[in-house]
Amino acid sequence: MKLIIGGYAQGKLNYVLQKNDIKISKIWDGEIPKDKDEQKDIVVINHLHHWIKSRIAKGGCPEEEIFAFVENYPDCVIISDEVGNGIIPIEAFEREYRERTGRMLVELAKKAEEVERVICGIGQKIK
Amino acid sequence: MMTLIIGGSGSGKSAYAEDYIFSLSEKRKKYYIATMKIYDEEGEKKIQRHRMLRSGKGFSTIEQPVDIGKALEKMKAGERTALLECISNLTANEMFSEEVQGTEEVITEKIVSGIASLNKKLDHLVIVSNNVFEDGKVYDNTTMAYIRAMGQINQKLAELADEVVEVVVGIPLVIKTKQI
Repeated sequence: MKLIIGGYAQGKLNYVLQKNDIKISKIWDGEIPKDKDEQKDIVVINHLHHWIKSRIAKGGCPEEEIFAFVENYPDCVIISDEVGNGIIPIEAFEREYRERTGRMLVELAKKAEEVERVICGIGQKIK
Repeated sequence: MMTLIIGGSGSGKSAYAEDYIFSLSEKRKKYYIATMKIYDEEGEKKIQRHRMLRSGKGFSTIEQPVDIGKALEKMKAGERTALLECISNLTANEMFSEEVQGTEEVITEKIVSGIASLNKKLDHLVIVSNNVFEDGKVYDNTTMAYIRAMGQINQKLAELADEVVEVVVGIPLVIKTKQI
């Protein structure tokens, strides 16, 4: 699994596509495939943070779901914004979302074979 | 020696800072300088989580929500290290507590000089600070003054520090290296 992180509008998806080092079968936007039996090709999950937010809003457990997904799709690419670099939000839900997203990215980074941070469209390999 | 560790919410900066100071302290006395004031259940939970992370690592905790230089009075003499967590709470307490208040310049100077004097009396001081700068929002004047103070404090601490590490998704990125 590869993890790509960075700020909003930094060209993360484009960076992944332009690298062209892997054969991507499908790009999911703010969603993850539910079907375990889907072809084991390389899928890209774009905007993982959007998916996390919607799962938390619905009272789900995105932590369990994402780790199960990574087990089923060990060659996937996950793209997420870094959302923790700001003032602590006033709304409790926003605080929870930021904190849980951060912690999930830490865990995903531990599991990832490669972590890249993209800024101005340029990737820095940090793991 | 001074090390500044910076990261966003949920970046894993605390866990990294605790492991880091643990690894360099050896047999020295280890202090944890806590700056957070508890206002509600959420704050209580946060503190519990941090206590759990630290448990079994042999830290003595000093509560120092304001007047950071005074933490020294609560320490025993001898070889010692300290982990100060974190600058964002300390700055908020200094700026927004009822007892003490001042302009961003006065508070910046108070915090930086307090930390500098503390550092002189320690074998190693590890400081955790927060990246509060990148959400691109414009807040009210008070919050903007807070963000500016944080920016100034981080810059001055980075200048004083022997090393500066940014923690990103749990991964340490060294942005200022020790001169050996």
